[in-house]
Amino acid sequence: MIEVTNVCKSFAGREVLKNISHVFEQGKTNLIIGQSGSGKTVLLKSVIGLHAIDSGSISYDGRAFSHMNSTEKKQIRQEIGMVFQGGALFDSSTILENVMFPLQMFSTMTKAEMLKRAHFCLDRVNLVGADSLYPAEASGGMQKRTAIARAIALNPKYLFCDEPNSGLDPITAIVIDKLIREITIDYNITTVVNTHDMNSVMEIGDTVAFIYKGEKWWNGNRHEIINSDNKELNEFVFAGELMKKVKANQE
Amino acid sequence: MNILFHIGRYYALLARAFKKPEKGRIYFSLILREIDSLGINSLGIIFIISVFMGAVITLQTAYNVESPFVPRYLIGLTARDSMILEFSSTVVGLILAGKVGSNIASEIGTMRVTEQIDALEIMGINSAGYLIFPKIIAAVIINPFLNILSIFIGITGGYLAALLTNAVSPEIYIQGLYYAFVPFYIAYSMMKTLVFAFIITSVSAYHGYYVSGGALEIGKASTRAVVYSSILILLTDVIFTQMMLA
Ligand SMILES: Nc1ncnc2c1ncn2[C@@H]1O[C@H](COP(=O)(O)OP(=O)(O)O)[C@@H](O)[C@H]1O
Ligand SMILES: [Mg+2]
Repeated sequence: MIEVTNVCKSFAGREVLKNISHVFEQGKTNLIIGQSGSGKTVLLKSVIGLHAIDSGSISYDGRAFSHMNSTEKKQIRQEIGMVFQGGALFDSSTILENVMFPLQMFSTMTKAEMLKRAHFCLDRVNLVGADSLYPAEASGGMQKRTAIARAIALNPKYLFCDEPNSGLDPITAIVIDKLIREITIDYNITTVVNTHDMNSVMEIGDTVAFIYKGEKWWNGNRHEIINSDNKELNEFVFAGELMKKVKANQE
Repeated sequence: MNILFHIGRYYALLARAFKKPEKGRIYFSLILREIDSLGINSLGIIFIISVFMGAVITLQTAYNVESPFVPRYLIGLTARDSMILEFSSTVVGLILAGKVGSNIASEIGTMRVTEQIDALEIMGINSAGYLIFPKIIAAVIINPFLNILSIFIGITGGYLAALLTNAVSPEIYIQGLYYAFVPFYIAYSMMKTLVFAFIITSVSAYHGYYVSGGALEIGKASTRAVVYSSILILLTDVIFTQMMLA
């Protein structure tokens, strides 16, 4: 469980996060949704400490992360896996090397054990036979799978994904979403996913926080989201024809 | 104010780059890789410019100093000392600032905008140490060899010029090479090379590390890396020359 309490963050005097409080639950895929530019990425990066917050606090299972020094933070960071929006794979390393990387840096495994673990993770994301490809040679879906495999290599307790299915075709997007949900449930981890895709929300939104212009505007789950009477949320949810039909069907 | 900001941030970045590394063994292989990419990959360009520089100095000196009071063997001496004192250190430094500097800035800049640096940080890795330290060390190790190599190739270039033209006879050129050799010049050249290696790698890494935005900014950062490294190299050269040779 990750608790975010009264978090504020501004860049050069411009407030991007306004007093955000939220709880991300263990064993669930916790979604952060909102329009482009609403502050989802900044929120995610603040939670994992890539952005220093101006005020408020963040705690990981009761451990006050935002008040730790950098050595203590490092400890927690090794329990965190992150899938960046563009994958952020190391482009001078192959897919296998990318997944091996955290193991080489932080585990005491032998080479053979690392290989075994890396192949296990690649297997888990259904990416076999692509070991020696470089990221530039891999398809978008393969890159996302690799990024997920790298993120889970060290058995994280917390998994963060920034728009994991952006840039993917609808079929691959759903496969990746489902994969994230499966991993979350299998390992009972706390997963936080940024998205602006209503498909993902309906597919995997165990909890949903709606960010509007840097504020937490609404929270609930994927069933409640359709019947909410929040104006800004409705504008976001029913922007496309598909969701309007879903709602009409339900009624 | 702006320049103070950059100087402060540059030193802070260097301090992070030189922190104790997480896993020593990995750094060893990173340094080897950088020696290959920064050093071995520069051999070709160093070979070409050194040959031509040696030849041009020899021909220039031979044609410009045609006086009965100036002995011809001074041509060889001039070629030798010019290579050692300026060309193989400073000019090669400027060429490497262009080649290696833009390379480093765009490599690290790309890692910044594609969030690869964030990915390192979130794993708990000191990204400055991981990315910058091996480059600085590799350049400081390999550039003195490039310097010596350039001196030899340049002097050979002058010999070839003597052989292929009749500006000066090869025997007299060689006689000049042995005349009044000052070993300290080599040490001086070496010291400059070490400082330049540090400047090129650290300044370029700094410009790459703090890129924000996209591809356009990466291009701008690599241009800035080359410009600032070059200016600093020339500035250091003046200071060195005044301090050591005056
Ligand atoms: N490093 C930064 N410096 C200044 N402004 C930033 C920075 N990162 C994000 N912003 C601004 O914060 C706002 C929210 O951005 P972001 O969190 O990336 O949106 P999104 O919801 O699309 O992920 C945007 O207006 C963006 O310009
Ligand atoms: Mg974003």
